Amino acid sequence: MRNSKLFSAALLFLVLLTLSCRKDEPVSSERLIIGISADIKTINPLYSFSVDEGSINDLLFLSLVRVNWNETIGNIETEPLLANEWQWSADSTSVTFFLRNDVYWSDGIKLTAEDVSFSFELYSNPQVQSKFYGTFEKLLLNEDLSIDLKRSIEVIDSFSLKINFIPNTNIKLVDVVLPIVPKHIFDKYEYDEIPSAEINFNPVSCGPYKLKKWDRNQMIVLEANPNSFLYSDDMIKELIFKVVPDYNSRITQLKKGEIDIAEQIKAEDTETLLKSGKLNIVSVKGREFDFVGWNHIDPKKFSESGELVKNIYFSSPNVRKALTLAINSEEIISEYLINFGQSAVTPVSPIFKEYFNNKLQSIAYNPAEARKILKSEGWSDTNNNGIIDKNGTEFSFTLYVPGGNPLRQYASTIIKNNLKAVGIDVKVETVELNKLIDNLFNKSMDAWIAAYYIQIPLEYKMVWYSDLDAAPFNFVSYQNKDLDIIIDALGKKIFYEKEVELHKQLQEIIYADQPVTFLYWIDNIVAVNNKVKNYEINPLGVIQHVWDWRLN
Amino acid sequence: MNKIITRAITKRIFSSVLVLFLVITFVFFLLRMAPGDPAQKFLSPNFSPQLAEQISKSFNLDKSVPEQYISFVANLFTGNLGSSYTYRLPVTKVVYEYLSFTIIFSLIAFLIQTIISFWLAVRSVKNINGSFDRSVDKLSLLVYATPSFVIGLILILIFSVQLDLFPTSGTKSLNNSELPFISRMLDYFSHLFLPLITLTAGGIAVFYRYIRDNINDIYNQNFILNLRAMGCSEQTILRKHIIPNALGPFLSIAGIELGILFGGALITEVIFGLPGMGRLTIAAIFERDYPLVMGCTLAAAFLMILSNLIADLVKIKIDKRLIKDLLQ
Amino acid sequence: MKLNLKIWHTVLLIWLVIIILRFERIIELIELLYSYSLIIITDFSFASGQFSLSLADHIAGIIIFLLIPVVVIYFVKRVQFFNKKIFTSAVIIILLMFGFLFAPIITDRNPDFYKDIAVTKLLPPLSTVKEIRLKEQKSDDNNKQQEFISVKNKAIRLSFDESVIYCDSAIISGNELVYYQEGNPKTILVEDVLPENGKYWSAKLFVFGTDEFGRDIFTRLIYGTRISLFIGFCAVGISFILGLLLGFLAGYKSGWLDLVLNRITDLFLAFPVIFIIIFVLALFGNNMLAVILVLGFSGWMSLFKLVKTEISSIKTKDFFVSSKLLGVSAFSLMKKEFLPLILASVIVNIIFQFGNVVLAESALSYLGLGLGNEYSSWGSMIQSGQEYITQSWWMIVLPGVLLILTLLTINDLGGKIKAHYNPRIKYD
Repeated sequence: MRNSKLFSAALLFLVLLTLSCRKDEPVSSERLIIGISADIKTINPLYSFSVDEGSINDLLFLSLVRVNWNETIGNIETEPLLANEWQWSADSTSVTFFLRNDVYWSDGIKLTAEDVSFSFELYSNPQVQSKFYGTFEKLLLNEDLSIDLKRSIEVIDSFSLKINFIPNTNIKLVDVVLPIVPKHIFDKYEYDEIPSAEINFNPVSCGPYKLKKWDRNQMIVLEANPNSFLYSDDMIKELIFKVVPDYNSRITQLKKGEIDIAEQIKAEDTETLLKSGKLNIVSVKGREFDFVGWNHIDPKKFSESGELVKNIYFSSPNVRKALTLAINSEEIISEYLINFGQSAVTPVSPIFKEYFNNKLQSIAYNPAEARKILKSEGWSDTNNNGIIDKNGTEFSFTLYVPGGNPLRQYASTIIKNNLKAVGIDVKVETVELNKLIDNLFNKSMDAWIAAYYIQIPLEYKMVWYSDLDAAPFNFVSYQNKDLDIIIDALGKKIFYEKEVELHKQLQEIIYADQPVTFLYWIDNIVAVNNKVKNYEINPLGVIQHVWDWRLN
Repeated sequence: MNKIITRAITKRIFSSVLVLFLVITFVFFLLRMAPGDPAQKFLSPNFSPQLAEQISKSFNLDKSVPEQYISFVANLFTGNLGSSYTYRLPVTKVVYEYLSFTIIFSLIAFLIQTIISFWLAVRSVKNINGSFDRSVDKLSLLVYATPSFVIGLILILIFSVQLDLFPTSGTKSLNNSELPFISRMLDYFSHLFLPLITLTAGGIAVFYRYIRDNINDIYNQNFILNLRAMGCSEQTILRKHIIPNALGPFLSIAGIELGILFGGALITEVIFGLPGMGRLTIAAIFERDYPLVMGCTLAAAFLMILSNLIADLVKIKIDKRLIKDLLQ
Repeated sequence: MKLNLKIWHTVLLIWLVIIILRFERIIELIELLYSYSLIIITDFSFASGQFSLSLADHIAGIIIFLLIPVVVIYFVKRVQFFNKKIFTSAVIIILLMFGFLFAPIITDRNPDFYKDIAVTKLLPPLSTVKEIRLKEQKSDDNNKQQEFISVKNKAIRLSFDESVIYCDSAIISGNELVYYQEGNPKTILVEDVLPENGKYWSAKLFVFGTDEFGRDIFTRLIYGTRISLFIGFCAVGISFILGLLLGFLAGYKSGWLDLVLNRITDLFLAFPVIFIIIFVLALFGNNMLAVILVLGFSGWMSLFKLVKTEISSIKTKDFFVSSKLLGVSAFSLMKKEFLPLILASVIVNIIFQFGNVVLAESALSYLGLGLGNEYSSWGSMIQSGQEYITQSWWMIVLPGVLLILTLLTINDLGGKIKAHYNPRIKYD
């Protein structure tokens, strides 16, 4: 009896001690705390597959040029970074870079053109498996898709090098923007040793920040690098990437001031965050859109024999248009996204002010019109059971939704109900993301909801091209010869005005065909603490160029 | 006597190893039957399709499944569990970090569960059907019926969000390594307090009901009456006769419970963002990180079998007649 | 005078209450029954074309509902259980059963029905909004088939309804009706509105509030009872069959079969169950069948052990051996000699297993591995409610309370049955 009383007293004492002794984490004016949802895997720009890895690597490693977003024209611009200046050749098939001579790696060695050339070698080598492997189509390549270094990259001297491109292609400077890695570190490894090398966890870097410490699953701490040419005294001295896996915890910590920035905020939480008085809400717009994919070919026939046979429901553009009319995406935007999103009609978002074809109106919710079109296509309820049919087949299919995404779950419920109201029977099935991807490549589903994260600069071939081998991500099997011509033309060297016109024509064709039902552009909502100044959050990303940011 | 025990133990170890092997094989083939593969996350319009091919090759996924199995087993015997696809680190290293947390956390939870439930049960039986007994009984029912995620969410709402007494997630604060030892320990404690309550609540309820019924049965038996008649004090009866007899059946469920705890208390880890085996395993499965999944399975199955074995051995120590159970 | 309320009294009482509260609805359904019976007799091919699960549900529901007093009176004399005094768990079970069987009668709308999300979403319990009904288009044909279809459309609620509008407030101005949704005014002509008792709009009450789509939570809870209980029954059924058969085989035929089964059980126990669940769900998708299979296959172990130990001890008893020597087959042995003995503990085990399954289903839904949005199981309601935890506590609390109540009831029932067969344990 006495023992138990003693025990409870001891426990109480311990709890009280804990509560009183909890040291508040010092709020330093010299540090910025960024909340991220998961720990990163490596600190090596070769492998920055996730957004957070990219952000951190861009602070530790620099590229030849700095990419900025020009809000007015809605396009990217370049500025010198590692390269002081560059000169294009007369026929624009090669460019010579003149590098700065005051860039040092964290072990003291100077950065030279050899590092740049070696970086290209690593990025394009098949055994290194970097994120850019196989993407250098505008450079002269070997058979295994690695860059033919002798012909493509010429090191002129320690601080200048020349890059040769394939003539008559649409070359942009951003094609050679990649973070440079140190040759004297990486040439000690065999190519296939690099993916699992120790250096990936304790890198040698040259950027305005360097790695101070990495507590696995807790935080990554970067400190300002005074030896960098980008260093300035009023720069933020310490950056802490704090791993907070639970979303609600991130929100709570934002409100309490324990973290200063977090992205992927849900629309319904913006109000309470603003109420705390500490935070600003900014959105990254126009990079991601959700859509309903309609399979243009019959999945059963495809899985049996690989033939492309027209899908009985979705192969007609009119039916697809009717489906788009029947879906009330405006309701999803106003009720779920709380207007942190815009209606989408093509794969080009309004942020591309010059490319965007603003003559194309968004397709407003009109179920009566949808029913009319379906009837004209032969779909009507002949047996009065509430489901429309044609030639004995009922309009009934399964809509697949990837799990773990509340927006898509919400949209699937609305879509199911909307389509039921025009007589189409929809079953919604949630599948694990991996299974969905598998199904996409096997073209085994009739309809699904998914998202595209578009690239800057805009690329279309992999998704919308008719040759299904060249377009592995054309999951709906959409084929339009006119579109192919435009996509091919965009790959060639053309004048800017012509390029703009081609983008606009492409949008018109896709708008008319409705190969998928574009739902909406989703904003990436970011909460930033008031104390952060001089930051830019634009379509290129949230954590960029942090060396320009200042704290109050 | 010893010879029988050693024979029993060896027989048990053999069958345990067999089961372990079966589990690993089962998981190995099941993994490969699931749709999707590890190189899939590299399939995106942002990367070249050849990248996924290359990565697949480097994971040895282009060989046939039986071939992969044979090389896996061969590597297993040399203690090489391979490298994790997602972490690019040896599986042993990745599992070690998460496993150490889970083991410590589970052991603490287990100790708390056992001590508190025993204490509650004994106290209840002393005044059986009295007010304490009845209220604890109803409370334990309520706790048993409430899902652990509900308990965890309510705790966070009250103590973290509204009252701000405890942190919402993680195992330590940002400046933990800079603190002196005692403050560091207290920091850990404050982070783990709510998760421990969430995890042990259900377990205490289960243990309590089981032990209480057991102890009640024992109390009602004739030999206790005899002991009392002979003049033994309640304390000695409790310590020397009741508890040892109750331990026997308790240990069998204790072994299973400890094994489950070791497997990773998934829901608690998810709610409180703790770096434990449960979350690691789930993430590995979703990423199709085959070597890591095998490593996690091996660890979990091994610990489960180990804790059952230890529970049975302790049982034997208490009551040698139970060797028959062990032999099964 | 002390009220000696017996179980069959309570059943009839609840039945009467439902009739009083839902009188109009019951009339609607009787109309449906009458109309469909007519159609079956006169135009069978049309009738079979119209047949659907929801039609069967409504018709079977109303038939059973009307027959309740007959059933009760018949069983009152024959089954002793009905004559017992009422206790709390029994009331809850009866209510759950009523909800399970007569969901279309008790509720007024389809569980997936929503309209005008801006007005109806995330409303707290006991909120009201204004409801405006529009006149429906009369169809041109006037034959028996069309009549039946209009009766059917009135009785079977759908998940969409274009003739109803929800708004915050409304005023009449001339020949126009202006209604406000979130401050935005919209107009319709008065002649398009169907007045009710002289008024152009009525109040719609949401007893338990609404969810993020504006769907009535009370309706979803009642239909959710069906899902959760159905999954429970099926999963427990699978566990029961597996545990009983395998346990009997293992205990009865010892030797290698026993050994193998033991190893397999150990395998399942050593295997972190979460793996199996994720694998199966990844392979089959998050649908009803997969969830039932998964829950059924992860719960047979305890019954297996129980059955096995029992049969091992009974195997050597005289009565058993003599039956065997007489040539009774193994299957009849199991059915006739063995089953009656262990029935008590098996029932107790099944009941607790049922509780586990309901709990596990809600945990799966919480982790996002459950049924998803397609069905309104309690677990998936809690999962969707989690997102709105700070604004709309009722989305979690109400299904949560129902879940806890059900589990408490199941455990209580199990305890009572255990006490019934084992009088030494005192139970109050």
